[in-house]
Amino acid sequence: MENKIIFGRAEAISVLIIIMTTQLFISFPRLMAESGGNAGWLLTIYVTLLSLFFFMIISKLYKPFEGKDILDIGEYVAGNTGRILVGVIILITYVFIISIVLREFSDGLKILAFEKSPVSFIMIFFLIGMILAAYYGLEPLTRYSAIIVPIIAAAFLFIIIGVVPNFDTNNIIPILGKGPSELFLKGATKISVYSGLSILFLIPPFLGNYNNFKKTGYYSIILSSIFLTGGSLVYSLAIPYPATTEFVLPIYTLARFIDLGRFFKRIESVFLLAWATSAYIYLSIVLFFIVYVYKKAFKLKYHSPLIMPFSILIFTFALLPESMMAALELESNIFRVFAWIVTFCMPLFLLTIASIIKKKKRVKK
Amino acid sequence: MIIKLKLLLAIIIPCIILSVLSGCFDAREIDDLAYPMAIGLDKGDDNLLKITLQLAVPVAIAGGGGEEAPGGGGGTSTIVTIEAPAIYSGINMANTFISKQINLSHAKVIVFSEELAKEGIGKYISAIARGREFRPSMFVMVAKGSAEEYIRAVEPALEANPAKYYEMKLRAFDYTGFTTDATFTRFYHNIKSTAAQSYAILASVSKFDSSKDIDNDESTYLEKGRDIPFEGDFKAGSMPKVGDIKSEVMGLAVFDGDKMVGELDGGKTTSHLMVMGGFNYAFITIPDPIKEGFYVLINTSQRRNPEVEVSMVNNSPHISVKVLLEGDILSIQSGINYEDVDKLKVLEDGAEEFFKEEISHYLTKIIEEYGVDICGFGNNMKRNFLTWREWENFNWLNKFKNSTFDVEVDLKIRRPGLMMRTMPVPDSKGDED
Amino acid sequence: MVDFIKTVKDFFAFKEPKEIEQFVLKEDENEKPKPEEKSDKKQKPKQKESFISKLTSNNHQKEKEKEDKAEDEKSVGISKDINENLEHIKKVYNIPDNGDLVIREFEIVAKDKSLNAFIILFDGMSDSTIINSSILQPLMLLSNVEVKGKENDLALYIRNHLIPHNQVKMVEKISDIIDEVNFGGSGLFIDGIDKAYACDTKGWLQRSVDRPNTEIVIRGPQEAFTEGMRVNTSLIRKTLKDKNLIVENFKIGKRSQTPCSLLYLKDIANESLVDEARRRLENINVDFIFDSGELEQFLEDSTFLPAPQILATERPDRTSNLITQGKLAVLMHGSPFALIMPITNSDLLHSPEDAYVRFPFSNLFRVVRIIAVLLSLLLPGFYIAITNYHHEMIPTDLLIAIEAAREAVPFPSVMEILMMEFAFELIREAGVRIPGPIGPTLGIIGALILGQAAVAANIVSPILIIVVAVTGIGSFAVPNFALAFSFRILRFVYIILAALAGFLGITLGIFVHGIMLVSAKSFGVPFMAPFGPRTSDGIADQFLRSPIWNQEKRPDYLNVKNQKKQPEISRKWTQKEKKK
Repeated sequence: MENKIIFGRAEAISVLIIIMTTQLFISFPRLMAESGGNAGWLLTIYVTLLSLFFFMIISKLYKPFEGKDILDIGEYVAGNTGRILVGVIILITYVFIISIVLREFSDGLKILAFEKSPVSFIMIFFLIGMILAAYYGLEPLTRYSAIIVPIIAAAFLFIIIGVVPNFDTNNIIPILGKGPSELFLKGATKISVYSGLSILFLIPPFLGNYNNFKKTGYYSIILSSIFLTGGSLVYSLAIPYPATTEFVLPIYTLARFIDLGRFFKRIESVFLLAWATSAYIYLSIVLFFIVYVYKKAFKLKYHSPLIMPFSILIFTFALLPESMMAALELESNIFRVFAWIVTFCMPLFLLTIASIIKKKKRVKK
Repeated sequence: MIIKLKLLLAIIIPCIILSVLSGCFDAREIDDLAYPMAIGLDKGDDNLLKITLQLAVPVAIAGGGGEEAPGGGGGTSTIVTIEAPAIYSGINMANTFISKQINLSHAKVIVFSEELAKEGIGKYISAIARGREFRPSMFVMVAKGSAEEYIRAVEPALEANPAKYYEMKLRAFDYTGFTTDATFTRFYHNIKSTAAQSYAILASVSKFDSSKDIDNDESTYLEKGRDIPFEGDFKAGSMPKVGDIKSEVMGLAVFDGDKMVGELDGGKTTSHLMVMGGFNYAFITIPDPIKEGFYVLINTSQRRNPEVEVSMVNNSPHISVKVLLEGDILSIQSGINYEDVDKLKVLEDGAEEFFKEEISHYLTKIIEEYGVDICGFGNNMKRNFLTWREWENFNWLNKFKNSTFDVEVDLKIRRPGLMMRTMPVPDSKGDED
Repeated sequence: MVDFIKTVKDFFAFKEPKEIEQFVLKEDENEKPKPEEKSDKKQKPKQKESFISKLTSNNHQKEKEKEDKAEDEKSVGISKDINENLEHIKKVYNIPDNGDLVIREFEIVAKDKSLNAFIILFDGMSDSTIINSSILQPLMLLSNVEVKGKENDLALYIRNHLIPHNQVKMVEKISDIIDEVNFGGSGLFIDGIDKAYACDTKGWLQRSVDRPNTEIVIRGPQEAFTEGMRVNTSLIRKTLKDKNLIVENFKIGKRSQTPCSLLYLKDIANESLVDEARRRLENINVDFIFDSGELEQFLEDSTFLPAPQILATERPDRTSNLITQGKLAVLMHGSPFALIMPITNSDLLHSPEDAYVRFPFSNLFRVVRIIAVLLSLLLPGFYIAITNYHHEMIPTDLLIAIEAAREAVPFPSVMEILMMEFAFELIREAGVRIPGPIGPTLGIIGALILGQAAVAANIVSPILIIVVAVTGIGSFAVPNFALAFSFRILRFVYIILAALAGFLGITLGIFVHGIMLVSAKSFGVPFMAPFGPRTSDGIADQFLRSPIWNQEKRPDYLNVKNQKKQPEISRKWTQKEKKK
């Protein structure tokens, strides 16, 4: 029944934008500042170009496999083993990242508005939304994100406009930041910021034809890069460099600066609505795909009974890191360093083998 | 249908469970909290810190200023002073005897005493940057003498609400030019910056009790080579004034890193604003270029952002500043017809000369005496570098001391006010204003 | 106890989802339903039955037998013997007990034969002048006159020559007569003929066409539907003069046989949509139905969604307008409200006046209305969230004012606002139920005295009164009553969520509410279209309204047969000069 759902390109793009830009609200601009100095935004652009290049190759290879997701390709390459292997790899990645993001968002919210609440209380709030949304399925989620993404974008734009008085163009000078070698060689692993793109390799069955797939990929990368570059650019414009590596929640710190006369000060809490919404969508979509991948990898009939067990699992994993620092450390040192292997290398590898097999088959015929 | 019902239950049951089990951890009614409007930090006598909190008394404020104190002040706020090792420990102590929990989210100013500032305030600043409750738009002040005395001297006369008093008074530089926008954000960024140093607003309690006591001993007019002190030749505390309002703000405290190294008077603060491009408008007294002993008053404002260029000459930085001003004539005491297009040039030149001198005084002071780049000239220097490492190795803050500078001022008088010319006052002897 | 454990088990255990017929409006408008799908649809009622049978397995058999009997009675044919018919009628209507049934027996002469006849009707339901002048008079008097009729069949002869009434049906079953009589008609039986005549002689008293009560506009038609269905259909035909306007008749209610009509434009409305509506209308199994409000509950997709999925309007002009967009309308006898389906969220936010006033005005209306919606839904929640969690964002002056006002109030602000909202709901409910003349008094007591006294007694703070009042006014500005109702319920949810976790709670509320709304469907059309699923066209008149000459297309999500409403240039006069 799920396979009958087909959603439009606008919905798919907005889902991918949410998946790829939610990190902006946690630690993305700081991470960029840490590795790129005051030229974090340059690093973002560089990484965008890299990921566009990779996606170009992948989408070329994808052409013969219209409407198949990465699991199907795994099956094509190595039968059931292949499908299950690919599924398990994706599952592990997703469970890992969703737990960390859940923990980071909850801890972030705890820092910025709910100092006295236990972190599990905030997590439960997120979990309720996630579970309900996952029960409703993918279709409402995509529609909801299509409505919400422009609103979040508007809120983000509002933050940028509000921070304009704090801008100092001298903050992004020296233009090359930590230097070309630091930026372009070491920075290449930061391509993991686009790890959310892996969702795209799971939705071809919902997307219909190949053309849609290709366009969705390009548009979502470019639009997210606008957000991400904008975010890190604004961050390094408003705060001088060494201080940019200090703040836990960069965009929140920016929102604190908004000062529109005596009456509108410290309105950062309003943006909590936008951040929490994007977190809700992010977490729900990833939870849905965890369940979906599990179902598809093991050829189960229904996915909904898996939602509760997986959310309890995620809840437990999210509580495992002893501190927020540990969670942030896990994200920046493990996930953001190795995620590109799952997102870009795995599809490349599988698709190359699959095309070779396909060619061989054709030759045989 | 069953599924929908299940979902509905799934929404309602957690809500009930959450509300019953957890209560509302963070929920605090507004009236359960006490809001300090000002925080003062002094060096403690026996402990590390002496913390002064000025708490708003909402009932008195809403009641129109309080019945017992007609001047506002005492009724609308209450002040407590505690000795403690750190800010938060002091607040913890205060919470035991103040009936409401203290919430710092509406603190408008933080006042450091001069003594503390000279020792270094980095350790307290980082606590404020880390704390969620503090406002980034809070003003940072340095009180000559003690912060406690300053806060106790704050008695808002025109408004009931001390918060409004701080907000209005500290924004007044928009039309006086005697303080600056030393918000916490700016202060913190400048402290952390490798291209600029920070500054805070200078505050103090008035020295004089009655108008007979007034003297100009602490004025800076002599070092500027003037016969009489102009309006900007004072620092907070020594302003020749008396009145109900005892507290004063004027001038800047200059920091090297997190340590205060010097003070600037009101006039130099105006120059600072002009060089930074943050000068809005102010009434400025200018000696009459032709007739000595007379003055021309100009409502001066900044025409455009100043043009600043920094370059390396003989291995030391050279700063050239061009300040672009414009102004309207407020008063010409001598009655000389400066409104005339030919004579206007004379006035403009005189004014330019005056401002040039003022700014030179200011730059000399910060470069030669303090060696502190509070203007952020380093930001202009940064443009010559491509990577951060090169810039860090350059060590601007150290090199700034050796800078040389030249100043150029371009002032255009735009409007004469309501009068096109001053006709002499005829009397039996001669002409006078 | 066992039951309780079972329910808990049911709650947590997964059950295979039951197959529920789901209708989705397909993209392809020309796609005709395949035969397989048809068979699916036919099976569907059966499935439902079997589902019900599980619940009431014991009673079911008996009920079925009873139903069969009733079926038999209904299909009794008309006998040639008039006495048999009379007996039957008397039995059906329990004649000695039933007082208002009139049975008038008389004789007529036709083809030189004197025949016994009787006519039945309900006193007060039928127009006696019509019966006298168009049925009884001709039959009793004119039958003596020589009429040149070629018909050999007596029944046809009587119909064609002796009854000059305009709406006469010749029927063969007694049940048809009974249906007609129940609905104000009259039944004529004549001896020796195995047919009877059902004459439409409705003449009960009914309200005349009046001004609308709930959807008041300043500019625009001032007519509203009444309780009579034919009056209502005529009102629509009068507004929508189009030959393609189809008025399909249905009867709903096994016993009440309440007439309903389905109205649509044949060359515009999507066929599968009409089929679906027809299928739903035909498959409602209920004894009696009285108002379109009940019908709405039988027709709607989701019962538990707070937002209405069918629009009820009492304005013929609005109904016509929506029909022209490709939507369907259902009128029901006895209800002055038309049901419009399918609708989307933005239809509920529109007022009929939007189309009649000029472009800038209608957009001002719309903006005000959207703000009103947000206020009525979220303002109390926001107030609670801000005053309980996010103190730093209140301007200091206001904070001090609120703090001073709350100083003497003993309740927590959540209690305060729940109390006041409840009091407000109380006033509102009482205001509706109260007899007319006392109404204004109650308003004054409620609003003025209660609010004033509550503040004076330090039970609530004055700022809270403002919040509640603004919320109340906001909810009155929502044009659709049902939508305003859903906000009234949800407002409390938002208050509780805000009290639990401030803005995070509100975000959870908005998220879940939003997910519910986007997953909802009204007759297969996504409720949040064209925003939820982004569709290409039809946004000319959604949240804001573009100029009337710019609204060229009908909404895309309806998949209408003819999407174009007007050509690119609908103001041809703007082009005139070029042509010259």
